[in-house]
Amino acid sequence: MLRYASKRVVLAILVALAVSFAAFLLLSVATDPAAAIAGEGAEPEVIEHIREQLGLNRPLLVQYGSWLLSVFRGDFGTSYYWHQPVGTLIVQHLPVTLTLALSAIFVTLIVAIPLGTIAALYPNSLIDRLALGLAVAAQAMPSFWLALILIILLGVMLPIFPISGDATALNYVLPAIVLGAHSVPAVMRLTRVGVMDVMASDYIRTARAKGFYGYRLLWRQVMRNALLPVVSVLSVQLGYKLGGSVVTETVFAMNGLGRFALQSIVGGDIPTVQMLVVLFAMTFIGLTLLADLLNAWLDPRIRLA
Amino acid sequence: MRAAIVAACLTLVGITPTLAGRADDTLVIAIEGEIPTLDHLYTTARDTIVVSELTDDGLFYVDPDTLAYVPLAAESYTQIDDTTIDVTIRPGVRFHDGSTLTADDVVYTFNWVIDPATNTNRGRLIANWLDRVERLGPMSVRFHLKHPYPLAIRDMAFSVQLRKAGAYQGTEGKPDPTAQALTLNGVGPYKVTNFQPGKSVTLTRFEDYYAASPKGRPAIKTIIFRTIPDLSTQQAELVSGKVDWMYNVPADVAANIGATGYAVHLTGPTLRINFIPLDAAGLTGADNPLTKRDVRRAMIHAINRPDIVKYLVQGDAEVINSACHPLQFGCEQDVHKYAYDPAEARRLLAKAGYPDGFEFEFWAYRERQVAEAIAADLAKVGIRARLRFVTLTTLNQARKKHRVPAFFASWESGSTADTATIAETHWSMKSDRNLAQDVFVAQRMEAAAKTIDRAERQRLYSEALRRIAEEAYWIPLYTYSQDYLVSKDLAYPVPKDGLPRLFRAHWRAAKAS
Repeated sequence: MLRYASKRVVLAILVALAVSFAAFLLLSVATDPAAAIAGEGAEPEVIEHIREQLGLNRPLLVQYGSWLLSVFRGDFGTSYYWHQPVGTLIVQHLPVTLTLALSAIFVTLIVAIPLGTIAALYPNSLIDRLALGLAVAAQAMPSFWLALILIILLGVMLPIFPISGDATALNYVLPAIVLGAHSVPAVMRLTRVGVMDVMASDYIRTARAKGFYGYRLLWRQVMRNALLPVVSVLSVQLGYKLGGSVVTETVFAMNGLGRFALQSIVGGDIPTVQMLVVLFAMTFIGLTLLADLLNAWLDPRIRLA
Repeated sequence: MRAAIVAACLTLVGITPTLAGRADDTLVIAIEGEIPTLDHLYTTARDTIVVSELTDDGLFYVDPDTLAYVPLAAESYTQIDDTTIDVTIRPGVRFHDGSTLTADDVVYTFNWVIDPATNTNRGRLIANWLDRVERLGPMSVRFHLKHPYPLAIRDMAFSVQLRKAGAYQGTEGKPDPTAQALTLNGVGPYKVTNFQPGKSVTLTRFEDYYAASPKGRPAIKTIIFRTIPDLSTQQAELVSGKVDWMYNVPADVAANIGATGYAVHLTGPTLRINFIPLDAAGLTGADNPLTKRDVRRAMIHAINRPDIVKYLVQGDAEVINSACHPLQFGCEQDVHKYAYDPAEARRLLAKAGYPDGFEFEFWAYRERQVAEAIAADLAKVGIRARLRFVTLTTLNQARKKHRVPAFFASWESGSTADTATIAETHWSMKSDRNLAQDVFVAQRMEAAAKTIDRAERQRLYSEALRRIAEEAYWIPLYTYSQDYLVSKDLAYPVPKDGLPRLFRAHWRAAKAS
């Protein structure tokens, strides 16, 4: 198991390096950070001076190599746009996004898994149809629209929750609902299908014959197997929420990594964008690895394979 | 659209807004952009400039009502000759750390700004005209200019915020350009008490602010800038009483919210104008139809600018005819004017040899709906504009490579009421924005930018601007209005140049219950 995990970690680092190199190349082609720093209407000499100062006139491979060496030394560079060390900036923004993403996953779990399970236990019933209807509605709702409705209903008309900022735990409630709602349909359907499949399997029939019913049957025999695909989907969803919460963070004025990444891209801030790309890539890779390990824990057959 | 939904919902539900920040004497400002640094010397971000108006003072100040330059941290100045300006520093001006402003601080600040190694945002601009600054005494300095430069006082007012001598001295004796990015030591009417980049800035009234300042003593004790990128969320916070002031609101949205009574809609001018430079010089191809004057004139006649302003831009915006803002010094208005006249446009096209019109690339990076309206108007007379909507960076790069025959442009002039600020960037023979490459125009614009005599400058601008209009080098479009939404409790004097001066805001007297 340890050997398997080590191999996956090395592979993960190689993938992250490949992603960072691709991002570096694309960013270098798409933007001119010197021009972005110099500002609109800057004279060519000014732009050239900045380019020289930042070493942007060196060959791309040399620039990339130099960046990589610095990263290995723990120096992530200084942001062109924010005038601060990139590492410090990422550490400042990470807690907001991490809290938001985990809260959103929590919202997804508490809504999607019970609903999916109940829908599976009573297929084609009214509750099943309602659950599927809710999933369709959640899928069709754009995040910004749901955010707007929640802001008006629960922030303005009934001023229960704050609608912007990230200062208190209450600030996370509405954004977590918005971000969490997005994953509900997929997780709910997977849970429903998973539970239905397992319930129809021979070993459940056998378990029933042996006298397993109710909660014991559901939790010990059904859910462990039914939730295997859900774990994989949730890990991807968490990665998505960590890297792609731009809309939610923007609407609710949260100073997280999503908005930070967007602003850095717009500002042509290559050192920051580079580190964020690596961070997001590592997050996805790490979460995929974690999902594999979790699946192996849930299903011993995977460990033996 | 989303903003309109919010306005409609608020009207339908009949919300009663809570009290604004008068109770705790805290003015909460919602801004759309980030504040990446407190140091105005290192950014041109609009919101940072608005903060800087509160935390920083320069030697001079632009009166927002008259747009005249008046001494601020300076007490007076004397133009000794065309290239020498003596400035006397006002006594009793203090930095936020309590120390007093002296000539040494002024000399240090300007030397820092013009040093190419320090990379300040406007360093090159200042170094273009400023040779050196000399200390004449403890409270007086002499500026030696490289050549006569009429905007020297303007640059001192807008671009050089005063810093304490040694302010950028980092550890181990190495200069540190980021030294004022997070903790600023300015001489403005407010000092920074909390700064979370990209999130908020809290300012507290500086009680030792000099009494003689033309900015006056601020009435409000605390000002908090909060970054709320989404306009709808800003509005929701405003009607909930958690935000007191927002700007850059689209005119229709501001009018809708203002009509609901939850906030007051204020509007005023800005110095931004929109226009379309045309490739008269044939940079994108010598056989380019835009090289023909009749074609360029036809294009202006074809665009229904009054309707675009009335239905799309709205607010206080106005159609312009000259290549500058009417509020700017030297902006000649007695130029050739082009009415909306599609028939005349077709006649001119036929005369130029294009009876069936032609196709060209029209580049734009902002206000897509206006760009599309312009393309639609041109299509009505047979000119097929292929709209290339791109980012500003892409447009800049393409223009440098002479691939842009016409682009939808916008210029704010750094809130400066002087034609020089739009002329030097757009009509210099070295500028890639100059698609006309007219030596006559360039010479006059450059001469005016190096002349102190106001009458002579006016004459030079007049000649150049008349020529531009006559030759139809640009399609002049419109000015902008700045629209604000403010709490009903707040009195906010609207400036003439669109640059907010929040130190002038004060709470309205509370109504007796």
